[in-house]
Amino acid sequence: MQACKRGNRHAYERLYELHAGRLKSIAFHLVGSRADAEDAVQETFLKVYRAMDGFEGQSSLSTWMCRILINCCYDVLRKQQKLAEQPVRGDVASESKLPLKVALERALGRLNERQRIVFLLFEVEGLRHSEIAAVLQVPEGTSRNWLFEAKRELKRSLMEKGA
Amino acid sequence: MKFECGDLDRALGMPELMPEAREHLKQCAVCRREYRVWTEISTAAKELHEEWESPELWPRIQRAIEAEPKPKPVWWKEWKMWAIAAVALIAISVAVWRPWQKAGTPASLAGNPVVLNAGNRDFLTEQALREVERTENAYRQSIDKLSQLAEPKLQGSASAVAVNYREKLEMLDSAIAETRANLDQNRFNVRLQTELANLYREKQDTLKELLTRDQKN
Repeated sequence: MQACKRGNRHAYERLYELHAGRLKSIAFHLVGSRADAEDAVQETFLKVYRAMDGFEGQSSLSTWMCRILINCCYDVLRKQQKLAEQPVRGDVASESKLPLKVALERALGRLNERQRIVFLLFEVEGLRHSEIAAVLQVPEGTSRNWLFEAKRELKRSLMEKGA
Repeated sequence: MKFECGDLDRALGMPELMPEAREHLKQCAVCRREYRVWTEISTAAKELHEEWESPELWPRIQRAIEAEPKPKPVWWKEWKMWAIAAVALIAISVAVWRPWQKAGTPASLAGNPVVLNAGNRDFLTEQALREVERTENAYRQSIDKLSQLAEPKLQGSASAVAVNYREKLEMLDSAIAETRANLDQNRFNVRLQTELANLYREKQDTLKELLTRDQKN
């Protein structure tokens, strides 16, 4: 982090190697395509570069980057006027996937934003509730509650579709 | 309380209800199916993590970062803070000292020729200025030697570290030149002398750091 603050480009490359995989995956599920996800990740790194000097380390670097990424994803969606519609998953080769995975992916699109983000961060990307609470700036209990609501909705949705 | 099918959702969110729920699951096929879906959601979710190669993404980010104006380094901010603190301290010291001097100094000493201008609080005496200039010269000589040693390493390398050091040294040289130009207008200004000394010290430390780093590597 100190090397990044000094403007060391190699430190940023290391930061990219460490975090880009997870950030790309989160962005993909929020914006719906790999190209848009990469745009969001690029914008995230630029914002991190611009704001690194002011980052005091109250939250972890990965939490901070994740928060920036989610905002960038909303920007990408807004730019493309996609907010009103569900993400189109054109890059996903559905045929090759397990039926439950495909059904789950579709059901995820029907969740509200907060439920979808908490589910993605906890169940898909493996963040802890304390980390999610820091990313979304909500109490930990709220994060647990949103996850429970998300899973209940997904269960209902999957049961209706006969999973 | 008798556990019914409608209680399952509530029980999934409340671990204390799960023993009763499990008893119910043994007898109810519908709830068993619901419970199976509930547990499979988490397993299937792990497979939703998307991985793909993006060989162009980092070069793109790097180009975008390079096009950004450079953020001011941390040492610059810290140095400014110390400079402000030093100026404030000098101002407070002078403010406290001057009334005391007026009250306590004998008339014969008040006109001491070493004091250039009693009305100007930031001014150095001639003797103090000579000492400051001697220190400055020592710094400059030391820095010149270090610069000569560091020059081949700095110019001969295109690494990001060398580029960072070059940029920092250029910034320091420019700040030194600017402070010296201001000092030429007013050689007795304490604040400017302090700034200049700090800049030389920073440059000396940077060159030493560069040379030591090179030896370590």
